[in-house]
Amino acid sequence: MKKGRVVVILVWAILFVVLWESVSWSLIHLFHDPMADSKLPYLHKVIAALFSQGNVLLRESFVTLLNSAFGFVLGAVVGILLAILMSASRTIEEISFPYLILSQMIPVLGLAPIVYGIVHDEIASRIIISGYITFFPVSINMLGSLKSVEKEKRELLYAYATKPISVYTKLFLPASLPGLFSGLKIAAPLSVTAAILVELMGAQHGIGVLILRNLYYGPAQSSAFWASVLVSALLGILSFELIVLAERICLPWKASLAHEGGDGK
Amino acid sequence: MSVSEIEIKDVSAVFQPDEKGITALSNVSLDIDKGEFVSLLGPSGCGKTTLLRIIADLLEPTSGTVIVEGKTSREIRLEQKYGIVFQNPVLYDWRRVKHNIALPLELLGVKKQERKERVDKLLELVGLQKFKNHYPWQLSGGMQQRVAIARALATEPEILLMDEPFSALDEFSRERLNDELLHIWQKTNNTVVFVTHSIAESVFLSDRVCVLSPHPGRVSAIVDINLPRPRRNEMRNTPEFFELVTKIRNSFEGV
Amino acid sequence: MRKVTTIFWPVLAGIVFLLLWQLQVFHFLLHIQIRQLPLPSAMIETLIDNWQTLLLYSMYTLAEATLGMLIGSAIGFLLAVIATVFPKWGYGGLIFVTALNAVPIIALAPIMNLWFGDGLGSRAAVVTITTMAAMALNAYRGLNDLKPYALDLMKSYAANESVVFRCLRLPNCLPNVITALKINTTASMIGAIVSEFFYSSRGLGYMLSNSVKIAKMSMGWACIILSAILGILLYSIVRLIEKHAIKWHVSQRI
Repeated sequence: MKKGRVVVILVWAILFVVLWESVSWSLIHLFHDPMADSKLPYLHKVIAALFSQGNVLLRESFVTLLNSAFGFVLGAVVGILLAILMSASRTIEEISFPYLILSQMIPVLGLAPIVYGIVHDEIASRIIISGYITFFPVSINMLGSLKSVEKEKRELLYAYATKPISVYTKLFLPASLPGLFSGLKIAAPLSVTAAILVELMGAQHGIGVLILRNLYYGPAQSSAFWASVLVSALLGILSFELIVLAERICLPWKASLAHEGGDGK
Repeated sequence: MSVSEIEIKDVSAVFQPDEKGITALSNVSLDIDKGEFVSLLGPSGCGKTTLLRIIADLLEPTSGTVIVEGKTSREIRLEQKYGIVFQNPVLYDWRRVKHNIALPLELLGVKKQERKERVDKLLELVGLQKFKNHYPWQLSGGMQQRVAIARALATEPEILLMDEPFSALDEFSRERLNDELLHIWQKTNNTVVFVTHSIAESVFLSDRVCVLSPHPGRVSAIVDINLPRPRRNEMRNTPEFFELVTKIRNSFEGV
Repeated sequence: MRKVTTIFWPVLAGIVFLLLWQLQVFHFLLHIQIRQLPLPSAMIETLIDNWQTLLLYSMYTLAEATLGMLIGSAIGFLLAVIATVFPKWGYGGLIFVTALNAVPIIALAPIMNLWFGDGLGSRAAVVTITTMAAMALNAYRGLNDLKPYALDLMKSYAANESVVFRCLRLPNCLPNVITALKINTTASMIGAIVSEFFYSSRGLGYMLSNSVKIAKMSMGWACIILSAILGILLYSIVRLIEKHAIKWHVSQRI
């Protein structure tokens, strides 16, 4: 990261901290708000709670991450298969596309209570909802990549009388990877959110449960509540960065594209 | 009497975007001998790329036949008997240079060790040994096109089809690559069908130039290029060269 | 001819799906009861029987979603403009909004409830936060990803920054803004409904979670159907705006 950028981020971070602490302070001393501690507890208190509750937070985060990972993988596999099918057959694409879009009009997270009502199993419903929220961005983005393969790349293989299955393994699949990872990057934080939502509806473990518990303990535990909220946000960011890392490993040729200069157009 | 390698007989190609239809090619006939370097030259709309694609079986003619060594162009394609170079290098971004060149060999089922040896020879042929582990984006346009040429030669095909391979390059790179192409061709001796819109390029490279005119696409002239081989860049400045260019330019119709 | 098949197949598939559902094929395959997964006929019935309440709640939820989306998009756009006009320092605003976007809705809801009370405001606030990031990032890209030489052209006319902004950046970012609005329509419905799960006493989300709690599944499904319809409605409005606002764009050509 360039030196200038680091300075800017540092300044913003400091401003942010100062702003937070002053708002918390004014809530208590200027507005005499009885709920001040719940509305915006002091940042340092939240950080303190973060450390004191460290173990619990870590353990529950891991549970949430694991659960959302299962759903994520499931959804990704379904999304990939769907994208391949849709790219291979016009009819399948025409049938599926409207319903794909429709599936996103249904508030996915709104389905959560219903799925839970049917399945009554916290692990299964977490996986189902996470999977549901994942497959759309994955299939749409991967389909986009598949459809934008240049005609000449296909003609090259046609000129060599390549078998259809080889056309897929040598051209379409590698070419679809950038789109696939775009979709995975979008889906990862979403699937974490989905897992947490299901946890809030009655589960035994996970960061969502922790958030709920801290919430119900009332104002005394508000720093702990905020700390757990912070952790849940970090989980979302973490899942995103994990995919970015995976992308860098799987697509060594793509990351470099970002640095194209000179002859690149 | 020598049997021509490629016999194009009365080929027509009509496209139908609307009721009228566009006649890209109208009764085109041409015979190409084994080991010949023939250019298809003309402005846009004259059907030269269409003709090349018909030879490559990437397009079906509306009427007429293309016979290559006694077989149809489809049979030739299915037997992987030709190499093709497009206007864009069409390299696969996710493969290193050496793997891009190896692609046709993979499709042919050549074993790994033999592939490696053949790719190394090809890299030497086009002068890109140092770049064999690079990714396409790291190479200039001219270098990428050289990789594409190496790839087209990988299967040691009888026939090399080239569709304006150097159009996207600047004049200097173009002349240099013309020179290199001839050097390579001297070693590989394929039959080459070369599409271009540059008169100078066609004169420099070919044994014969087939001049095509548009609306509808048809053969206006077939000009023999009797300049001695090996051709040198200095030949571009000779009166003989200029005469041939003028002769060709005057043979265009309806442009 | 193509257009007919484009409509025919999906519609046919949809009808087949509904028929299978109504005939309880899915219940048989998945071993579930009617009370767990109601039949389409039951859902329609519930919809019709309770149409007044549902309509009222729909309007309520729609209001939260639209209000939140408009405010959130406006703030997001403002942040993008600031980041464009003050490139070095404004960037922090974008980072902030991206980080904020990572906070799960579920955690936002109780916090907003504390700040804005029990009414429509707190839900709108949640929607605002969830829609800021998409607009900020898309608008920023639209304002700054200009075609090559476009800026050079402006420079050759000795145009100052505000002219460049007005004549080049703003029109250029319209397609991106529309994309963000499309994303935000779904996000805002989800945000409104999920935040109603907590602390609300009105709205489709409230009705949904409440019905499920007392095992009135048909009502829950009726809410889902309505929210999907609302989502489609919002999306169609954006599409309409798109048709008129960016007639010139590549995506609008056949």
